[in-house]
Amino acid sequence: MSSALTNAYTIKLDNFEGPFDLLFYLVEKNKIDIYDIPIAEITDQYMDYLDAMQKLDLEIASEFLVMAATLLHIKSRMLLPAKETTDEEEEIDPREELILRLVEYKKYKDFSEYLKEQEKDWVLVHYKLPEIIPDLVIAEELDVSAEVLRSCYIRVMSQYKGRMNDVSKKMKRILDREKVSLKAKIREILDIVGRGIKICFSKLYNTAYKSRLEVATGFLAVLEVAKLGRARVEQPKAFGEIYITPRKDR
Amino acid sequence: MESIKEIEAIIEAVLFTAGDPVPLEKLSDIIGHDKKTTKNIMTDLIFRYKNASRGIMIREINKGYQFCTKPEYNDYIAKLGQVRKKQGLTSAAYEVLAIVAYNQPVTKAYIEKIRGVNSDSALSTLIDRNLIKEAGRDDGPGRPKLYETTEEFLRVFGFASIQDLPVIQLNEIQEVMENMPLD
Repeated sequence: MSSALTNAYTIKLDNFEGPFDLLFYLVEKNKIDIYDIPIAEITDQYMDYLDAMQKLDLEIASEFLVMAATLLHIKSRMLLPAKETTDEEEEIDPREELILRLVEYKKYKDFSEYLKEQEKDWVLVHYKLPEIIPDLVIAEELDVSAEVLRSCYIRVMSQYKGRMNDVSKKMKRILDREKVSLKAKIREILDIVGRGIKICFSKLYNTAYKSRLEVATGFLAVLEVAKLGRARVEQPKAFGEIYITPRKDR
Repeated sequence: MESIKEIEAIIEAVLFTAGDPVPLEKLSDIIGHDKKTTKNIMTDLIFRYKNASRGIMIREINKGYQFCTKPEYNDYIAKLGQVRKKQGLTSAAYEVLAIVAYNQPVTKAYIEKIRGVNSDSALSTLIDRNLIKEAGRDDGPGRPKLYETTEEFLRVFGFASIQDLPVIQLNEIQEVMENMPLD
């Protein structure tokens, strides 16, 4: 019997969400009336299941063990003769609490199945994304004299004057930077070299009247021209002057 | 004052643009009628959309209204090739969702007491999917977080509101106690 059960369980091993889920499966499988659970049988089957889990080296969540203990406790209480009770006091079934919890669990289990069905229907329905409609700004009428407006304007402008100048400087630099292109510089040097003119680098690009970026790009252009074999580049002294001499076409 | 036909046209334009559910109050503000009248107009409009041979209908979600397609045209919509399939939830997640739906706002401890098992990962999946959200804290010891379902929950599972959930036999427990066989 034990082996048959083990086989039956292994297929469903992963599907139990918790001890109640397993217990509920056993109740359904054995077609037991949930309100009159044969505790001894169910406990045996439950323990068999835990054994099967252990044989497969699966980690058993502590919740499953708590339930095992609860089942065994109820089983033992069922075996003991009931305490003598007075007529008014009702005898308490040791299974009561467990059954109540199982029924409560079943309620939500059923509803979760219902949710799954609902989802299947409603996944077929599609929605449209919202359009972004900017809030309409309602213009308010201003009631101020031209004189007040003028003084406000002057005050604001004087406050921002420094910053405004800064921006224009920055803008100039940004715009200048955009003009510097390596290709253009190479063309520039090739043009000079092509005319057979020997020239000093400092004459061509000097930080005194060119931006640093332009000088650096110019230097790269000179190297490029040398690589092309269109000019000979010499620097007799470290950090000294660089001479660019045209080379005849090979 | 606009005729009823015009009001309906306004509602259609507004709902189409909004995409998301438009709350009843907002709608009644827009058309300039009280909430009761608006509600009546909407009920009528929903009914007519449902029964007309049209590809779209109006859903009521959380006291708001939203256009959506009719489920029977999903196969055709799929041919657009834009329908994304979401990964399904685990059974554990559905169980937690069921418990939250009926007991909201509810603590994690309450959920775990009913399920008899740790529910951390199911809870965080549901939060990630925007099906439940935190709803403040309980006054009890430790002030545990409370959870409730979202508008997305209503949308995904086809409910108009939380009150729209089917009634589950809560008094079944009472019956159990009465019918419990005594040894």
